[in-house]
Amino acid sequence: MFFEQLGGNLLQGVVLGAVYGMATMGLSLIFGVLKVVNVGHGAFIMVGAFLTLFLFSSLGINPLIAIPVAFMVGMGLGLIFYYTTIRKLIKAPELATLLATFSIGVLLEELIKLIFGSEFRGYNWVVGKLDLGITVLPLSKLYACIGSVLIAVLLYLWFKKTRAGSAVRSVVEDSEGARVCGINVGGAYALSFSLGIGLTVASGVLLTMFIPVGINPYMGGGYTLKAFVIAVLGGLSSPYGAFFGGLVFGLIENGSYTLFAYIPGVEPFALTRFLSFVILLVILLIRPTGILSAK
Amino acid sequence: MALLQLENVSKRFGGLVAVNQVSLEIDPGEFVGIVGPNGSGKTTLFNVISGVFYPEEGTVMFEGRDITRLPPFKRAPLGIGRTFQIPRPFASATVRENIAVGAMFGTQGHRLSVDGSLEVADEIIKRVDLAAHRDKAAGTLTPVEKKLMEIARALAMKPKLLLMDEAMAGMHPNDIDQMVAFIKRVADEENIAIVAMVEHIMRAVVGLAEKVIVLHQGSKIVDAPTKEALENPRVVEVYLGHAPEDSAC
Amino acid sequence: MKQIQKYFPLIPVFAAYLIMFFLGENMEGIWQLMSMLLFYCALGQAFNVFMGMTGYVDFGYVAFLGVGTYGMALSITRLVQYEFLGAWIIVIGFGLAMVMSTLLSMAVGAVALRLRGAYFAIATIGVNEGFRFLIEGARIWNGSEGMIFTADLNKVLGRDTAAALCTYWADIMVLVIAALAAFVTLVYMRSKIGYALTALREDEDAAKVMGINVTKFKIIAFITSACFAGLLGATAWALKTPYVFPPEVFEIHYTIEAIIIVMLGGAGTLLGPVVGGLVYGISKYYLSIFLPGFQLLIFAPIILVIIVLFPEGIVGMMKAKTKGTGVERFIV
Repeated sequence: MFFEQLGGNLLQGVVLGAVYGMATMGLSLIFGVLKVVNVGHGAFIMVGAFLTLFLFSSLGINPLIAIPVAFMVGMGLGLIFYYTTIRKLIKAPELATLLATFSIGVLLEELIKLIFGSEFRGYNWVVGKLDLGITVLPLSKLYACIGSVLIAVLLYLWFKKTRAGSAVRSVVEDSEGARVCGINVGGAYALSFSLGIGLTVASGVLLTMFIPVGINPYMGGGYTLKAFVIAVLGGLSSPYGAFFGGLVFGLIENGSYTLFAYIPGVEPFALTRFLSFVILLVILLIRPTGILSAK
Repeated sequence: MALLQLENVSKRFGGLVAVNQVSLEIDPGEFVGIVGPNGSGKTTLFNVISGVFYPEEGTVMFEGRDITRLPPFKRAPLGIGRTFQIPRPFASATVRENIAVGAMFGTQGHRLSVDGSLEVADEIIKRVDLAAHRDKAAGTLTPVEKKLMEIARALAMKPKLLLMDEAMAGMHPNDIDQMVAFIKRVADEENIAIVAMVEHIMRAVVGLAEKVIVLHQGSKIVDAPTKEALENPRVVEVYLGHAPEDSAC
Repeated sequence: MKQIQKYFPLIPVFAAYLIMFFLGENMEGIWQLMSMLLFYCALGQAFNVFMGMTGYVDFGYVAFLGVGTYGMALSITRLVQYEFLGAWIIVIGFGLAMVMSTLLSMAVGAVALRLRGAYFAIATIGVNEGFRFLIEGARIWNGSEGMIFTADLNKVLGRDTAAALCTYWADIMVLVIAALAAFVTLVYMRSKIGYALTALREDEDAAKVMGINVTKFKIIAFITSACFAGLLGATAWALKTPYVFPPEVFEIHYTIEAIIIVMLGGAGTLLGPVVGGLVYGISKYYLSIFLPGFQLLIFAPIILVIIVLFPEGIVGMMKAKTKGTGVERFIV
């Protein structure tokens, strides 16, 4: 009975993990190319979530369609923030970009709160379930998982096959060398930043499949921490590492939740969240460049 | 006893061997030039001596003490000072405060108070002729003034060994001559050994260095008194870029 | 005489605090406002010791305030049975708050302070949440229910004294903490610690080569900053409102406010947190009349503008303007 439950939870963990991983790819991309840590990461996920809510509840639009919409909105936001703020801070001390991305996150939270209010909301997108014996998987979650994998593959192809993608890769390797070769480094930065934000906002759509009633302006904070744990697991500069890190994290999160539930006198949900923080510190202590990274 | 002694030092980065079995000795008060183009391993060698990197093989001895794995901040109080090719001032602090930092954490740091360090800084400022800029923020100085301050800050540490990293790169020849003469004078007075790192054998270094060490792809190929080194055919052919008769010695 | 001159920069700081005190004492009904302003100044001074002087940002800073609150709460609730201790329980509470915040900062610092800039920020971003979920998850100290100790406080001090504490003396203690933090900041600035911190803030690698043990100095600043936060939590939160509730005392928005106050006023300056605290506090107070809850929405873009265009903050700009004048030595 225990193993069935564990197995079921682990499976759910992998499904969720894929989405977590995809949600972190933007963070790793931005750090890998611009060396900027987007501390406001969670707020962009939240924006994606509210976008989905708005499109579904007010306009009756299917969340799957919300994905590309969210991606566009994200890229737009990314461009705006890059050209107004980030670009000017690339040469500044690290403190500047950390505080700037943090403040952008706060700004987004407050704006959404202004527009939508701070109550918890949700929406109900019922498309049926998949009974796998050890667990029941709602199809919406399955779609989210498939969507994440698809997006990860698309990103991989974009890097490998397109000119823009190759340009970005060369900037990561050696920005001076790339500049000398005639690559528009500033443009590569702008593209990478907006792409990263686009991915993040899009992931917000996918994550709503997992939080039936939890959408609120301050939901981002929890995701920022998770994203950092995942990013550090997978290597802070590598989007693919982030994806696999997400899978691992999903497994750990659900696995530990199941195990904690068996310990009397503790609250498993809270303790799981504490555990993710401990994992973060442990990895930073041992190998800040990432457990799964190539180095 | 040699002041600084490197024995069979090797430093690798992954598959790349940056420094290959280099041994050398610097005596107290000696003025040595380390020469070699980009990629010859000079910067890595400097970084090993100042503690930024630890070598995979070999030992670094300073005044008979093994400092191979000593963290960089512990080498300064022992007497190893360093300047950078592109000056690294503490931009928001004044020139006076910058130089005082050198004194505060250098060889005399344990017996200098903050006020004492500021006094040392004032003395050095007079000597290097930066008095006009004493209370200006270091970030506002011109590049040449920053270089001067960089050297002054290192001198404030009262070092026994000063590692000068391409300090003269990009300077006007007259300024170089003046600067080097000044450094040599201070070095003689305070008995500081100077290791100057340069990309080509420059007239100024050649004029004052007692000994020249030439690096090529991480290995030492020449280690000899200056005159001898200049006449070494290999050196002439690879690094001088002009016939020995044209050099300014 | 020269020695005394070193402490002149404290004059405008203490003057500001005293003015706030007198206004609060003598004008009808603004004690509330003054107590809030003093809290923000104290928060700013404490946070500035670390973020302002090292250039590192601790996103989990509020955890130290929370831990301090628990320190006072634990002292009151666990020691109330020892009647002979009387009011000393409050003193022990402060001591416990300091000890606990020191321990937490040492634990976090041991990992985080070895890391450079961005990694440090990442390590700290979960500290407040992490600690909160530890308390809730392992059901320590009453877990997610928190503690209410009004009754205990009344028992320890007697009803009237307890009431006076909550409405008056707790705020006086905030003032003392603000003054103490300012004093320590100046002492650091004028000593080798300050020079080392400036050096490592400007260029950490060059600082190391100059002989500065950067980790040691980061730790000193970190623990000092954490201690003041602990003391602040112990009085401004535990003594003013005798209950502690994990989601409230580990709320990230206090860290946001601390960042705003320090950046607005001028990071790394002595007077900055006072100016920042006043501007932010007064704005928040008046905004709460017309547009409650709007202060972060308004200040977030302001901080962005400051980061991009005026990173030295208000006092930083004042310093530049008054350079070479007589006022210079008062604006630090």
